[in-house]
Amino acid sequence: MKRRNFLKSATLASTSLMVPAFLKGYNGNGILKNRTGKNLVIVQLSGGNDGLNTVIPFQNDIYYKNRPTLGIQQNKVLKLNDELGFNPAMEALRSVFDDGKMCILNSVGYPNPDRSHFRSMDIWHTASHSNEYLQTGWIGRYLDNKCQGCEKPYHALEVDDSLSLAMKGIQQSGFAMSNPKALKKATDNRFLRAAAEHEQDKEGSVAYLYKTMINTQSSADYLYDQSKIHQSKISYPATAFAKDLRQIAELITADTDTKIYYVSLSGFDTHAFQKNAQEKLLQKYAEAMAAFIKDLKQNELLDDTLIMTFSEFGRRVKQNASNGTDHGTANNLYLMGGNLQKAGFYNAGPNLSDLDKGDLKYEIDFRKIYATILEDWLDADASSILTGGLGKLSLV
Amino acid sequence: MLSSQDKIKHLYWRSGFGLSPEEWKKAQDLTLQSHIKHIFNTAAKAGNIKSEIQERSEAEFKKLSKEERKALLKKEKQLVIKQNAEWVVRMSDKSESAFLEKMSLFWHGHFACITKRSKHANQQLNTIRTHALGNFRTFVHAIAKDVSMIRFLNNQQNKKRSPNENFARELMELFTIGRGHYSEQDIKEAARAFTGWSSDFRGDFVFKKRHHDYGQKTFMGKTGDFDGGDIIDIILDRPETASFICQKIYRFFINEKINEQRLAKLSKRFHNSDYDIKDLMVHIFSSDWFYDKENVGTKIKSPLELLAGIMRTFDVNFKTEDSILFVEKALGQVLFKPPNVAGWAEGKNWIDNSTLMIRLNLVAFLFQATDINFKIKEEFESKKRNKAVRKIKADIDLKPLLNQYTDSNENETFEHLSQYLIQGNFKVKLKNLQPYLAKSDQENFIKSLALRLMSLPEYQVC
Repeated sequence: MKRRNFLKSATLASTSLMVPAFLKGYNGNGILKNRTGKNLVIVQLSGGNDGLNTVIPFQNDIYYKNRPTLGIQQNKVLKLNDELGFNPAMEALRSVFDDGKMCILNSVGYPNPDRSHFRSMDIWHTASHSNEYLQTGWIGRYLDNKCQGCEKPYHALEVDDSLSLAMKGIQQSGFAMSNPKALKKATDNRFLRAAAEHEQDKEGSVAYLYKTMINTQSSADYLYDQSKIHQSKISYPATAFAKDLRQIAELITADTDTKIYYVSLSGFDTHAFQKNAQEKLLQKYAEAMAAFIKDLKQNELLDDTLIMTFSEFGRRVKQNASNGTDHGTANNLYLMGGNLQKAGFYNAGPNLSDLDKGDLKYEIDFRKIYATILEDWLDADASSILTGGLGKLSLV
Repeated sequence: MLSSQDKIKHLYWRSGFGLSPEEWKKAQDLTLQSHIKHIFNTAAKAGNIKSEIQERSEAEFKKLSKEERKALLKKEKQLVIKQNAEWVVRMSDKSESAFLEKMSLFWHGHFACITKRSKHANQQLNTIRTHALGNFRTFVHAIAKDVSMIRFLNNQQNKKRSPNENFARELMELFTIGRGHYSEQDIKEAARAFTGWSSDFRGDFVFKKRHHDYGQKTFMGKTGDFDGGDIIDIILDRPETASFICQKIYRFFINEKINEQRLAKLSKRFHNSDYDIKDLMVHIFSSDWFYDKENVGTKIKSPLELLAGIMRTFDVNFKTEDSILFVEKALGQVLFKPPNVAGWAEGKNWIDNSTLMIRLNLVAFLFQATDINFKIKEEFESKKRNKAVRKIKADIDLKPLLNQYTDSNENETFEHLSQYLIQGNFKVKLKNLQPYLAKSDQENFIKSLALRLMSLPEYQVC
């Protein structure tokens, strides 16, 4: 079969799979029966969120001694148990926590931590050791590993104009799209659509470029159609981050063949005058996440969804002279969803009396969390995606 | 067999950033051998890059207030962006040595450092330019004493009492011999040998005696009171180092798919010449197999090869440095800011749905024929959200291209222009482009034809 014909028939085949939603049981209330697969949503807090001022060890003297002006006063903390509580800016997530839809893991990190944003984010994206340089990301390698449904170019979607390293594989990468309408507009280029038609028997690198171009065009069409199926009935805050989450909720509800979503919120590098800056961001984060959870729950999709929030590092225990905090090491990480093995706190809060030159020591290697998500949530073989026998946790 | 024209074109794309329309017209007057001579002669004449940063003594710096220091750092950042943009312009400048710029780009990706200080960036670039076509052994010795490298890989913190292995590890893993040819113990011993290799406030290399470990070291089977220089020499005596470097050169200049026999021959030659880079490159460009069809039109252009190539074809004058930076960021290759010490992953790694669409539309963006709507990811330190970029601010001079076709008819223009712009054995058909070409006059016809040809995936390779 000539490549062109093959491509045509492939397009036809995928169109026939794109059965209109109403035929698949979409009842207009956003509830779709008989859907398959689980969704993973990864939320990245860029810049190094200060975990100690997000989940506060309000009984700990060392915390208050190290943070004479930055420490959150005990009576302001939203207490979650006898030791730990939310920053008041996280109010919106309190009910999610109380409902058992959230699991907080403390002291998550890796050996020989790197305090450069750039490098530490690289380590989180590639799941490498701190002295190892990988050029593919952990989600990218999952896609490369012939996971089920992964042949779809939009199996993993980053809500952004460009793609993060976490999403880059060798054979296959994730797909970047900040919004379906803009992408559709950008790919509705008559000339390039026609060029795709004339593509015949190309070889090597050029064939690869044509394949990527054609995939981008067909994905743009598909995602644009999917985005029109369901409009969320929940009111989201008027922030860009909330808009991104709303987009994800709508695509999930429309039973889109995208199973992994990636989204970021940036600005957490709070070296000076941290309090206002961080609390503004935490509020943005908490309110958008709460709406997102509510939306999924209303559509009976929360049980099929796991949301992981991470940041490239936490911050130093001691505040600095500018009422801020400098780059640190281990941090807390949040899982949300309807199917958590252990809701609440996975482990005790960080040990502030046993620091490594003023920084928290890690207890949980983040790659164990990845391994657990890959094996227990995505049914993948983690050993072919991550290096080293890391073991798993009981999370989902 | 490639025609002699196509060979010349291949030479200029791989050794540089293609040919301008005038250069292409004149290229056929000379033999391939003369062209090879020409690019080496031009490279030999190119000098160092001057730095415009004002020297400031440590005492002066210490007197500055916190705000003044902050302002200074901001200025430094802006200067590095300026140096970056000037380098891109040099890559496309017909009066510069494109070959030296290309070699420097290769070595910048090899000895990859992220440099935030303008003076240090300039110093490293000059170290690279000095040795880019010189002796690799001397080059490694020089780079090990380069301030950007020392600071990027923490050799500043490598002291007798608390050795830091970062530089020693990457020296072997990424810069010289490659994985599998040394032990963890070798790294520890090498790190000891580099203790005290540091830099001063001005950015000059200093050897801090009191931090140096003068004890005996056993490294790669040899024992002695080695210092860093001895370690480099021991590593370079090993033929595996020549293979590792040749492999990288092969992938970058010849083909991602390696012909092992040819690589073995190149490695032997490189080792026997005691690492003469110029000899190696002359040999590659003079070899018949370099012009084999399997090596032509197979390389996905790096973002800078693409951008500088376009700038060479049209005279593109970016009105702001940020416009160049935007293209670099959107496509994933920012000078002085490689992703990490391993440098840029080349080839297919450049391509995802987002970068490919920017690439295919890049000429249209420059012609202002299509609106961009693209937001660059925030930097980690940044507090603000970036805004989407809508336009690239640039002036384009089409005259050099238009002048080539004053007396040509449509078919001749098409044949000639597609041969000039498209590398490799890809035949583009005029009839497929016809509906998208402007017919009002010759100028618009040529402009639209160039735009269409340069929007094809075929234009992305060289």
